[in-house]
Amino acid sequence: MSTVSDPEPHTLAGVYALDALDDDLERRRFEDHLSRCADCAEEVRGLTETAARLGRAATVSPPPGLRDRVMAEIGQVRQSPPGVAPDRAARAAGRSRWWPRLATGFAAVGVAAALAMGALTLRAQERVAEIETVNREIAAVLAAPDARTVTGTAEQGVSGTVVVSRAQRRMVFASSGLAALPPERTYQLWQIRPGRIRSAGLVRPDDRGQVPPVVVGMVGGGQVGVTVEPAGGSEQPTTEPLLLLKLPGAS
Amino acid sequence: MEPRQRRAGSDEGRLGSVAPHDGHAGDESLAGLLQRVARGDRAAFERVYEQVAGPVFGLVLRVLRDRAQSEEVAQEVLVDVWRSAARYQSSRGTAMGWVMTIAHRRAVDRVRSAQAAVDREDRLARLEVHRPFDEVAESVETRLERERIRRCLDRLTELQRESVTSAYYDGYSYREVAELLQVPLATVKSRMRDGLIRMRDCLGVET
Repeated sequence: MSTVSDPEPHTLAGVYALDALDDDLERRRFEDHLSRCADCAEEVRGLTETAARLGRAATVSPPPGLRDRVMAEIGQVRQSPPGVAPDRAARAAGRSRWWPRLATGFAAVGVAAALAMGALTLRAQERVAEIETVNREIAAVLAAPDARTVTGTAEQGVSGTVVVSRAQRRMVFASSGLAALPPERTYQLWQIRPGRIRSAGLVRPDDRGQVPPVVVGMVGGGQVGVTVEPAGGSEQPTTEPLLLLKLPGAS
Repeated sequence: MEPRQRRAGSDEGRLGSVAPHDGHAGDESLAGLLQRVARGDRAAFERVYEQVAGPVFGLVLRVLRDRAQSEEVAQEVLVDVWRSAARYQSSRGTAMGWVMTIAHRRAVDRVRSAQAAVDREDRLARLEVHRPFDEVAESVETRLERERIRRCLDRLTELQRESVTSAYYDGYSYREVAELLQVPLATVKSRMRDGLIRMRDCLGVET
């Protein structure tokens, strides 16, 4: 912890506005500082408001059942009187109140059973929607202003291409020359950074050894690797990568 | 109020002069509606719901990347808005800003809870979420706002942008962001602040 005697606590204004402090203690300490620094409080207000604008840009249509559940729940919730501490107490209370949701869950199971008959067609529709979404996502990465491409070849004619958009924190991966695998094996894609290897999903080549473009999330740089793993994939790589591509670094 | 916040007369760098805040749907502002909600007015709350449910759910989904969990958390947030409406003070910011702050904190709390943090690494790599920027059904206002945000984000340095978005949209703490981007903690701190200040000025946010 380096914040105990931070010489310039106000530099945390951005971190605070983004809710990126590490814990409640750190947060309280900064709020204590805010109460003694009017300029800082003013700045934090503006930055918090700015962060909220980022939030609004993420707007999507809420799920259809949400309104009814919320309206039903507020019928049983006592409203708080005006006070200084905004949502802290409510959050603490909210954490232990998981049981009503469990009841909702059981109700949902019943509904799910009733809907099971219609589920097949629904699934097909979802599948189509999913494919469309993935295509849009691939296109978004390829068209990103900061898109950068890395291509590499390895032994036995294996080659791969990665298009990275760091702004979108996504990359598109495609590959060719991968041999067909028995059903108990799979290819797995990894993002490899120093001290941290993360699965980026399973990839399956078609009959001609081509992996059609897939889009996966990524944070930071490092390398992208492909390994052979037991079907279902592994937590961490268990074999040597067949292909390694170095991601473009942050500038 | 200090000039650096007001930016009176300095429109350079701002994109668009329309700054939608409390989205006056109908004739009553969100802030006004919240006052009525604070007195237990359910009809007013329904109208609040109409204005904030999409932004709340979208933000929570963006952070959690899991629809089922996001529905739960969004429900908690919306009920919290009902419960704490009396605590909203218009002198301290816009009503939408207040609601979004509650939503973001709850989403971050959830994502940082032990198990969720493990799952998230996986979810980041999977694709079960419709990215907000790809959502089909969106209002003109939402689309314009999104466009404005995107253009302002483009004006940040890459490190500023990654610091701000990894923290806000992915719920990483600044320590985690420092690790992810492999830069010193102090750098992340200042990039988050500088980035947000640049965003604030570009968006013309007033306090």
